[in-house]
Amino acid sequence: MSDATSPHDAASREPSLSRRAFFKGAGVVAAGGLVGEAVQAAARSASLEPVRLEGTVELELDINGARQKVAVEPRTTLLNTLRNHCTPPLTGAKLVCDRGSCGACTVHLDGKPVYSCMTLAVDAVGRKVTTIEGLAPAGELTELQSAFCAHDGSMCGFCTPGFVMSISACLERNPAASLDEIQRSCSGNLCRCGTYPQVFEAALAAGRKLRAKGGK
Amino acid sequence: MALDPIRLQDEKPPRPAAPGKKWLRVTKAVNGIDTEVWEEVADDTGGPQWGARESMRLVSREVPRVDGPDKVTGRATFSHDVRLPGMVYARVLRSRVPAAKVKLDLEPARKLPGVLAVVELGEGEVRWLGRPIAAVAATTPELAEDGVRAIVVSYEEQGFAVTPEKAAAENAPKVNSRGNVRVLSKNTDTSEIDAALAQAPVRVKGTWKIPVQHHASLESHGVVVDYRGGDEATVYASTQGTFTIPGDAAGRLGLKPNQVTAVVEHMGGGFGSKFGMGIEGEAACLLAKELKRPVHLMLDRSSEFHAAGNRSGGEHEIEAGVGKDGRILAFKARVTRHGGVGQGSGHPLPYIYARDNAVFVEDRCIHTNMDSSRAMRGPGHPQASFSMEGVMDECAYAVGMDLLEFRRINLPEGKRELYMRQLERCAELIGWKAHPHKSAPDRSDAEVKVGIGFAIARWGGGGNGQCKVEVRIAQDGSVEVLSGTQDLGTGTRTYCATIVAEELGLELEAVRARIGRSTFGSANASGGSTTAPSLAPSVKHAAHNARVALFEKVAPLLGATASELEVRPGEIRVAASPSKRIAWKDACAALGPNGLSAQGEWQAHLAGNDIGGAQAAKVSVDTLTGEVKVLEMVAVQDCGLVLNLMAAKSQLQGGMVQALSYGLFEERVVDPDLGLFLNANFEDYKIAGAADIPAMKAVFEDDPRGVIGMSEAAIIPGHSAIANAIHNACGVRLREMPMTADKILMGLAALKKG
Repeated sequence: MSDATSPHDAASREPSLSRRAFFKGAGVVAAGGLVGEAVQAAARSASLEPVRLEGTVELELDINGARQKVAVEPRTTLLNTLRNHCTPPLTGAKLVCDRGSCGACTVHLDGKPVYSCMTLAVDAVGRKVTTIEGLAPAGELTELQSAFCAHDGSMCGFCTPGFVMSISACLERNPAASLDEIQRSCSGNLCRCGTYPQVFEAALAAGRKLRAKGGK
Repeated sequence: MALDPIRLQDEKPPRPAAPGKKWLRVTKAVNGIDTEVWEEVADDTGGPQWGARESMRLVSREVPRVDGPDKVTGRATFSHDVRLPGMVYARVLRSRVPAAKVKLDLEPARKLPGVLAVVELGEGEVRWLGRPIAAVAATTPELAEDGVRAIVVSYEEQGFAVTPEKAAAENAPKVNSRGNVRVLSKNTDTSEIDAALAQAPVRVKGTWKIPVQHHASLESHGVVVDYRGGDEATVYASTQGTFTIPGDAAGRLGLKPNQVTAVVEHMGGGFGSKFGMGIEGEAACLLAKELKRPVHLMLDRSSEFHAAGNRSGGEHEIEAGVGKDGRILAFKARVTRHGGVGQGSGHPLPYIYARDNAVFVEDRCIHTNMDSSRAMRGPGHPQASFSMEGVMDECAYAVGMDLLEFRRINLPEGKRELYMRQLERCAELIGWKAHPHKSAPDRSDAEVKVGIGFAIARWGGGGNGQCKVEVRIAQDGSVEVLSGTQDLGTGTRTYCATIVAEELGLELEAVRARIGRSTFGSANASGGSTTAPSLAPSVKHAAHNARVALFEKVAPLLGATASELEVRPGEIRVAASPSKRIAWKDACAALGPNGLSAQGEWQAHLAGNDIGGAQAAKVSVDTLTGEVKVLEMVAVQDCGLVLNLMAAKSQLQGGMVQALSYGLFEERVVDPDLGLFLNANFEDYKIAGAADIPAMKAVFEDDPRGVIGMSEAAIIPGHSAIANAIHNACGVRLREMPMTADKILMGLAALKKG
């Protein structure tokens, strides 16, 4: 389990690799040079049959402003890497659907919200990962997080980190976001308890606070 | 006349109460269905009192939940998030065949790298699609999935029926030994009603079709079993009942229940399906027992849909005859439940409405080779609401009577005032008076039409005496309240703290609520809206006892007796001479190093029971595309003492959102021939999202009663109000959910044809 191939030369690569594509020769060609010989062998076979890549790769990720070394199988999602391979485990992002339809796993990649269950950890190399744990300095809350508390934006709370990450990115772009824009920003997130009305209230309230503070 | 298999309609207690006792309607699980029954309890009208509401500082105010900061920062630890040294991850293999004898070859899985243990589940025979048949533990979830894929399964396939149509057909394969069609109750003599129906001037007859809905909790069912050998284990469970776990887990681990601790710090959605450990919990225990390592087993989303319960679907065949005066002269109903291998849940019809001239002909279930239904928020009621509110509206339009007036005439005597008050308030909030077409749909050529509809709910929501609560006051003045109860997102943790802080004159921050651990005092499982009315009175009692005990200690310091003292914010003083006072910290310093501990039990007089609730919806229907947009929903709800206005409003609105989702989007789809569940994921099984949410208003009535649970009532009428609003908008009467665009367009086409 120690197929240690350095991915550091891939820092500037575009995140083009889905989990499904990764198992296909075509996808693997795009990842050339990243995960080493097993991949190259698979690519040479030019087969569309699933290929099982054994062993792990060592990655260095930039998570919440700190460097984090992990050893994961190439197929490991960023979500499972955060939750299962980081020290300490970053379990704020939740695994719910594992296929990009609920948004509970949302994190920021270079400031943009992404589904971390649809992002491979190897695709996060060289990019800034921000999770719910790193949104505010320890012991503090962002305006949006405070507003979620004040306006009861969570019930069970399982979807909450995902909503906070999605709407944070929206308010970062535009603190004057309208209700419609806020709804769009979290239209990729699901909540089963039905907290949506309070989430919208919280987001609008946070936008007002940010604007009052002279946020952009 | 109406048959009633679940004793919901016993309106009077069975006999007069014994001396010193009184009768209470309490909600209990009977055959797994939350049912109201009469219980004789001590007539305890002394003891603690909630007191005047206007004088409350924290209880019944808008209090942000105490665990909010943990939830918005990702610090809140759900069972799903528990990470332990040496922990392994497990996944289950499901049967891909609905009915079969199965033989497993586990060896290929065992040989894979990282796979540590594989266990077989069940006894080689599968009766429902997706039943877990094996579980694999590995060092990562990815490797566990490899292990699941590597297991070789030989299916000796048997005939199956995954749809009620197939199951009810002649010569259908037998789902179980009890027969595919099982009659739960039957009333053979319908001659009187039939005669009355024949004579009624206006008749409405139809079949209402209700799909199977899924709970779709975002945190799936599952556990983390921390067993490392020896004679102790801790089970972290996503459950609605902390105390439903230790017994089951102990059995599987070969331990005694008192050697197992259940922990439910936070749980990600509980709508009725999460009681006990389930097959997945048993699997995790078996793996942990074998490995002597902590095992993390949370179902993946597909397994969650296949094997973790659902709200039963069904069919309601109804016939109603109405007089020109708007009175229902005769009513007849037959209910069929679709609960898979389970019985499903139902409610006798005509639901809330007067049943003087009604006969409930039959209540039956059709079994299929699908996962058993489980209780789901208001079991039986949302289904009953959908057909009955449809019948009520159809009758009202047919006799040309105002929708509310028609309901007034046909509500039972004792409930008329309550429901009419609530309905009229809803009408006012949603703008019914100014609505242009009340007694007929919009017949204009407008492309987009707007309509309004109404519906009502009923629930028990009473408590019971299962909770034991402890309040501790430490020498430094800090306070804890402890209960084993679980917080499903309803705000349980928060009201535990507010009730104690209120009673002791403290700020909320001074009280820490510790819950979700089976080593704390026992508590009921959260079903049937029974948590708050059971727990809150027990917390109040414990806080009251703690205050009285503290007064006993402090009284000598103030030269008074305990009964002369009162708490004020941050201090204790002599009520008659307020200058005699002692600060809270100084009072507690007198307690000595052990501090003080007080216990509390249920106080029947602090709880209430039996609620209504009305809702209205305003929708627009695009007659070109069939798209329905819910523009506005309003709710008016009675529920006794509201413990936290903010959390209660969230819960009521949340129920409305779930009802909207039920009405417009949700439906399990199975292939009858291939025996496949076609939409076991969140792309194809749609639940309401941000873009679907209307403007909402939730109003709580001033209700002098004690605490009553309201969660179920919140989800019961919304989809029915939406169905009625769709009809009011465009004239299409949908007797089938989900109310999708294709059905609207078909309905519009039928109207055009005449």
